Formats: sequence, C-alpha cells, structure tokens
Amino acid sequence: MIDIKDIRDTARDMLTKGEARAVIGYRRGSRGMLAEPAFITNLEQADELVWDPTCFHNLSLYLVEDRKFLAHLRKTANAPIAIVAKGCDARSIVVLMQEHYFKREDVYIIGVSCEGTGVVDERKLAPLLNGAHATSAAFDGDDFVFTTAEGEKRLPAREVMADRCLECRNPFPKEHNAVFGEDKTGRQLAEPFAALTRFEAQGNSARWDIWSRHFDRCIRCFACRSVCPMCYCDECVVDSISFPVTAETTAEDKANRIRWIERSAVRSENITYLMTRAMHLAGRCTDCGECERACPVNVPIRLLNNKMEREAREKFGYEPGASIGGSSLVASFLDSDPGDFIR
Amino acid sequence: MSEQQTYEPRIVAFLCKWCSSAGSDLAGVSRIQYPANATPITVPCTGAISPMYILSAFNKGADGVLVSGCHIGDCHYIEGNYLARRKMHLIMQLIEFIGVEPNRFRMSWVSAAEGGKFAQVITDFVNDLKPLGPQEKLKKAERA
Repeated sequence: MIDIKDIRDTARDMLTKGEARAVIGYRRGSRGMLAEPAFITNLEQADELVWDPTCFHNLSLYLVEDRKFLAHLRKTANAPIAIVAKGCDARSIVVLMQEHYFKREDVYIIGVSCEGTGVVDERKLAPLLNGAHATSAAFDGDDFVFTTAEGEKRLPAREVMADRCLECRNPFPKEHNAVFGEDKTGRQLAEPFAALTRFEAQGNSARWDIWSRHFDRCIRCFACRSVCPMCYCDECVVDSISFPVTAETTAEDKANRIRWIERSAVRSENITYLMTRAMHLAGRCTDCGECERACPVNVPIRLLNNKMEREAREKFGYEPGASIGGSSLVASFLDSDPGDFIR
Repeated sequence: MSEQQTYEPRIVAFLCKWCSSAGSDLAGVSRIQYPANATPITVPCTGAISPMYILSAFNKGADGVLVSGCHIGDCHYIEGNYLARRKMHLIMQLIEFIGVEPNRFRMSWVSAAEGGKFAQVITDFVNDLKPLGPQEKLKKAERA
C-alpha cells in the first residue's frame, strides 16, 4: 500500500530544497470521486495531492505542454519538474526522452506502483453502483472501496479495473528517481492483449462490420490526439488547420498545401485519421489508454494501438519505453525481421 | 457483358527508382505482355514510403497498392528496404486488422534485371484483385 503522506513529503521536500520548480500530481477534482491533474508550486498545495483508483490521467502530457510553453517564452528551465508517474506513464516519459524531447535531468520521476491493481474504468463501475454516485475511491489490497450516499461499497478491483490495467505487464515504473509501492511485475490478472485476442478471433468481414460502425461514429474532435503525450507535433499531418500561417503565407501557398485527408468527419477520412495515428504511435504507445478513455463516442482506439504494440513485440522483439538510449521501432531493423509476406 | 467481367482493378504501384522502376522499364523494352492496370509512381527508395501514401492511395480509390523495391542487401541507400520491410509489415497488419482484404496490399522485391518478374507480379496481383471487386471500404465518398 502506498501512503499518500510519502508522496506529499517528497513533493514538499523537492519544493523546499528548490530541486523542483513544480510537482505534477493528482488532487481531488470537483466532480464526484474523480481525481484531476494538479500542478503544485507552493508547499501548502502539497497536502492536496492524492493517490487513488481514479488517478488515470497520464501526466507526462504536461511535461510536453511545459516544454512547449517554455519554448514559446524562449526560456530555459532552471530546475527539473517532479512528476507522479504510474508504470505506463513512466514508460511514456522514457519514450519522450528516447526521442530527445527533454533530458533525463529535466524531470524527477516520483514513481507509484499500481501493485496488484490499477485504475478504475467508470464504464465498468457505473452499473455496479446501481445508479449511486460515488464521492470517493480508495485502494484496499485487491479491492477498491467507493463511498456513496448509501454508504461504503467494496468491490473486487478486477471487476471495475480498466482493461489496460488488467492486461498490464509492467505496473511498476522502472525508470524513477523515487518510487513508492511494491514491485508486482509479473502479476497475471489477465492475459496480455486479451481484449485484442478476443477481437481478432473474429473473421475479416465481422471485424470490418464492427470497425466501420466505430469509424462512422468518430466525430474527429481530436480528443485522442490532445490527450496523448506522444502526439506532440505542432503540425499534425492529418489536420490541415494546424499548418502554420504567417504573414508571409500567401493564399496560393495555403491552397497548394498537401491535404492528406479532408476535415469532414466522414468514415473514409476518419479511417485514414485513426490508422495514421496508430501508425505514428507504433513503437511509441505505452498503452496508458487515455485516448480510449477520452473518446466521447467510445471508439476502441486502444485496440489499434494494441495491435501495433503486439506486432512490434512478437515480430520485432520491440518493447516501447524499455530504454532511453535504444533506437525507435521504425528507425531500426533486424536481419531477422519477417519478410515472407514479400513476393 | 456484366459489370463483373468489365471490372478492371486500379493498382497504385510505388516503385523504387533504382530497381523496380528500372525493372518495369525492362519489362516494357523486352515487350513482355502484362495487364495495364498499374499506375506507377516512382519514389527514391521504398524506405521513403510513408504508410500514409498507402492509406492515401486507398482513400483516393485505389483497388490495390503495390510497393516494390530492391532485394534485401541491394538497396542503393544500404538500409532503406530493411526499414520499408518493417513499416510495410505494420501497415499491412493494420489494414488487415480493420477488416480490409489482405490481398489488396502487396509488396515485392524486383531488381532492375527482373523485367519478367515485374510482369508476373502485376499479373498475379490483377488476378487476385479481380475476384475482390472494387475497393469501397477506405474510398472517399463521391461528393453529391
């Protein structure tokens, strides 16, 4: 069990000594039980930090935001940022460092182990509370304890945990400066890629039937892109509105820009968007599952990313977020890469 | 004649400048007969092909996409085709995963000396594409 006091003390300690200019963590949100990202810069705020099953956000996103913000101000950081990171978040940070987005010394990772559990999936929880509104959630061994108006409700974590947490292979943040919680790497709550395997067992046309419905529904709000720490490009190839316009950009320049896809949210364009995103995340996605959680129309985006992750793992022996110094998936190759599909 | 008999698949063929493009040229100057369904697009190297080219080709109405380059070890840029092999494997898996017929995407190694092989690759591809019919899944809808 992680004592929240340890995380708060570490945050306070870092800020007092001036070893961090801010601490990114979780605090109680204003809506029900949910936690929200917190940016702590003074000592009193450190007591607001929480750690509970609703801390699902991948906070490494804010490291990217911070770097963009500093670049905009043309400033350099005077001290690192401390960040609370779960196993998946820590892997995201490693991928960002692998891509030289920032340096190891720019960030102080306060690792938190998910131990035997993970974060809650609200969609799984809602029916089990029978309409009651949970106001808080807490870890307790292999259970989650929710407080509702009708009293306490104890549920086995496995029943309400997010799929990605059930399938997680590394709930312990390997890359860290400080770490809390027990290392339970190797716990087997569900087979890795279980949801993907279930989906893939269907035939080609059944898969298309399901995907075409999902692709039809996508409204291209780009929530998946916004919430993803790996989607840090200022110019997004699939979104012509993100291409920069300066005073020197002529109307002709604008008209002649390559528009790979139209901006209208129709199926064919949605497919190209989501598939391109999956390709761009191949070997970089650490399965934090935020894209799927943020999706307002429940497109199972995680399946696409999972598919790429499994291909990379099984065919190329590549594990995203394994090492800061390693080469990336699509910028490296092995003689043993499969080539039997080539004629 | 029925619709099925007159259907000719449209293939977008991304050919590397150094091998497959020259291979297709050899097929031409050697007067080897092969179907005229492929639209060749010469690229500097298969390694330069972004998976987006393939998605974009399907999006704009290609019935099949062919990627062809130098044999492993023969790349003009030493390792371009090794990188392509990885990327194309991933995009092929992804296309198949969402339920598009896997036969719509093909990759081959054709050297500058293999005019006959190039003709064979195109012939086989056209024969495999014909029973599948037009590709409608990834194609952009016509504007009304």
